[in-house]
Amino acid sequence: MNILKHLALLCSGILFSLLTSADSLPENLEWQTNNDAPIWANPNAQKGGVFTDFILSFPPTLRNVGPDSNSSFRSHINANQLGLVNFHPNTLEVIPELATEWAYDKDGKTVYYRINPKARWSDGVSVTADDFLFTLEFMRSPHINAPWYNNYYTEQIISVKKYDSHTISITGAVERPKDELHYYYGINPTPKHFYKTLDENWVKQYNWKIVPNTGPYQISQIKNGKQIEFKRKDNWWAKDFKYNLGRFNADKIIFKVIRDVNIAYSHFEKGNIDTFTLVQPEFWHNKATGALYDKGLIEKFLFYNDMPRSSSGVFINQDHPILKEKNIRIALAHAMNFEKVINTVLRNDYERLQAFHTGYGKYSNNKIKAREFNLKKANEILDNSNWSERDGKGIRIKEGQRLSLNLVYGRKEHTERWAIIKQDALKAGIEINLVLQDSSAHYKTIMQKQHDMTSLGWSTGFRPAYWQHFHSDNAHKPQTNNITNMDNPKIDELITSYRSATDTTKRIKLANDLEMLIHETGAFIPDFKVPYTRGAHWRWIKFPDVPGTKNTGNLYSPFGNGGLFWIDNKMKIETKSSRKSKTKYPAVNKVFDQFKVKES
Amino acid sequence: MLSPQAKRRWQRFKSLKRGYYSFIALCVLILLSLFAELWVNNRPLIVSYNDEIYFPSYGDILPGSTFGLDYAWETNYRELSEKFKQENNGNWVFGPIIPYNPFENHFIEGEYPPYPPSMENKHYLGTDMAGRDILSRLVYGFRIAILFSLFLLVITYVIGIVIGALMGFLGGKFDLVFQRIIEILSNVPILYIIMIVASIITPNFWTLAVMLGAFSWMGLTWYMRTETYRENTREYVLAARAIGASNWRIILKHILPNSVSILVTFFPFSVVSGITALTSLDYLGFGLPAPTPSWGELLQQGTSNLDYIWIAASAVVALTIVLTLVTFIGEAIREAFDPKKFSYFS
Repeated sequence: MNILKHLALLCSGILFSLLTSADSLPENLEWQTNNDAPIWANPNAQKGGVFTDFILSFPPTLRNVGPDSNSSFRSHINANQLGLVNFHPNTLEVIPELATEWAYDKDGKTVYYRINPKARWSDGVSVTADDFLFTLEFMRSPHINAPWYNNYYTEQIISVKKYDSHTISITGAVERPKDELHYYYGINPTPKHFYKTLDENWVKQYNWKIVPNTGPYQISQIKNGKQIEFKRKDNWWAKDFKYNLGRFNADKIIFKVIRDVNIAYSHFEKGNIDTFTLVQPEFWHNKATGALYDKGLIEKFLFYNDMPRSSSGVFINQDHPILKEKNIRIALAHAMNFEKVINTVLRNDYERLQAFHTGYGKYSNNKIKAREFNLKKANEILDNSNWSERDGKGIRIKEGQRLSLNLVYGRKEHTERWAIIKQDALKAGIEINLVLQDSSAHYKTIMQKQHDMTSLGWSTGFRPAYWQHFHSDNAHKPQTNNITNMDNPKIDELITSYRSATDTTKRIKLANDLEMLIHETGAFIPDFKVPYTRGAHWRWIKFPDVPGTKNTGNLYSPFGNGGLFWIDNKMKIETKSSRKSKTKYPAVNKVFDQFKVKES
Repeated sequence: MLSPQAKRRWQRFKSLKRGYYSFIALCVLILLSLFAELWVNNRPLIVSYNDEIYFPSYGDILPGSTFGLDYAWETNYRELSEKFKQENNGNWVFGPIIPYNPFENHFIEGEYPPYPPSMENKHYLGTDMAGRDILSRLVYGFRIAILFSLFLLVITYVIGIVIGALMGFLGGKFDLVFQRIIEILSNVPILYIIMIVASIITPNFWTLAVMLGAFSWMGLTWYMRTETYRENTREYVLAARAIGASNWRIILKHILPNSVSILVTFFPFSVVSGITALTSLDYLGFGLPAPTPSWGELLQQGTSNLDYIWIAASAVVALTIVLTLVTFIGEAIREAFDPKKFSYFS
């Protein structure tokens, strides 16, 4: 508790100094804005109607920080809290949101913002510089019970300064390229007038409070345990804003709690839910078929996106006595038949992932191709590496040691895939023992670096991140993300340059080189990616000609960079009545490959 | 040699037709499963190649190079058979009835697994989600389950009998202490413990059996203890003691044979509980590591993919048949050993 008190004192001390310092803006700032980027919605979209979706569980709280706040529902709340700037979902340019203009300081870690004077909280109060200063106080407060945020807003966000009621600057801890400054240091405002007290009761007191927001929708009704309703703001301050035209069309968005996906699907078939995401093969191929689809009442969309892919595959522990040899790792990659897994149990729905960072635009090195299943190559390499002898079971042996390796994985439903990989690897004389652990034990094993190899997928980021995964600082010790124990001076050198480089071209070049070096070590065998999203919707849900963006993970997302669809109420009435009759519409099964990455 | 009493019990057991036939059926099943390699296998029984005869069923793999193929891994006998037929050089392959081993992923061009039962593909019960033959996995899974439960039975009986007999025979503090230990152990939720352990280390056949055994011997001790207490005070035991027989001799030669009847009646039910324990652990994913053929794992696949009904149906039917057989045997044994029929009390 003492530490907490000290921290609180420290925080308020910092705040005090922030509030009292009367800074003036540096001269020669080059203010920038961006109103020339293309729009990604259809400006003629119809407004109106009610959109119904489902959530699998009722959120445990409506707070967006603090205990239990990390539920999937939080994304809906956060999506209605605008940032200072946004990234264009197709071109990734910086575009204005709460700020109208921004400028960069010479120090490489400070950005100045001019807040739009029109910006309003949902309760009508103006958004001002004080709301940003308050964010820092709020996020650093021990009372919100969120150590990660406490830490981030102390270690990464160094200071927020107010110049006048609508001008601020934010300074981060390290220099970064310009666009990344916005991504890492661009904080959201917190409604100071709403949180009157910030004390130890905060967590309990604000569990079910509806916090004022700046986005297009606000929660209008909560039926405890059953549903949550969002209503479109009639006079949203940003509704005529260029990039918002044609978006956020439904008057109401209702999230019903349906605790089982199969039951939710039958609600969808009845028309109680408007849309249904069908990424799972089982649903797409088997369930989403039949009369409703043939009669054109429900339409099916498959939409290729081009966003960062999870770095998913087999990570090889290079400290392992056998696997420390590069040749063995490369032979192993050639002995794993991911192509067969894709063609059979995955029904060709997945694609082979080619490299560690894929989908990061120019930062990804698209020249890299994952090592293909090739028994001839695998056998040749092993024969030439003194592993030419085989024992009675066909497993290779060298000096009495068998080429037998453990593969640790944490998901029961992946067993089928690995069973296939195991059988084909036997042909190369490699025995792969499948070790299934429950997910927390699995995580512990790899954090202790006790695995020979493991199957895992890392989540994505804004830009490729190398230091945590591949720098020798993190090798040979527990509790770091360098689970391949990569310890390579050349890679270290490039990572250091990559981290300090602020010039985009140079960084891209470094990222490409790093990616190639990592590929050459053979420490990571990429497995699968799903390069699209897909789903089905009733025919009254209408879309622009291109129904999503490069970064659309869910076509039916009503908030954030989504909200492109609209509801044709006339068609809804017509369709509902014609359901009983035998009217037939043309069946729709569209594939959108505008953003499909062409692999050379 | 069987004692007259045992003979009479055997006669009685044989006369109980339902139990007796179940017993025979189960023995046949076990026997068949022990030689599963000969009738459920992707390796053929006999290969005749260039006037030499090979018997690949057991032992080391025969690399493709043995039969003039250009690879060093195990021969694909299905392809070999086709090749021989086309060449027509007098070489031939004679294979088992079910030509799949339980690990083999067999994929049919242009179709996605699981494949429904089909005579043509020789998947008589279809395949599972990874294209493995269900019948083959049932047979090998049965062998593992039954051997597992027999081994488990040996562990629990040895511990249970020894401790139970000692408790009854020695009495006093030893009895008291073990009674408490047993009470404590009986309240330990075994399944949870095994799940916790299995999530940390991957169990194998032996560790799993020993772990389960370590927590399931307690039930037996109570019966053994009471039996020993009772027999201990009988005249023949007193007589043996008077002659100067050692404690071990009294326990092993006099008391144990006279209390065996009660143990035998528990036999079939222990087998059932062994099979169920392994199946449920596999079902939950905490049993033997993949891809070991297992009924629990099949059940798990079946219940999460109910659209492919043959997966769950095969596992459920097989489980029901075996458990019913064992229960019938159990009933018959109980009946045959019923002291009311053949009483030796005077």
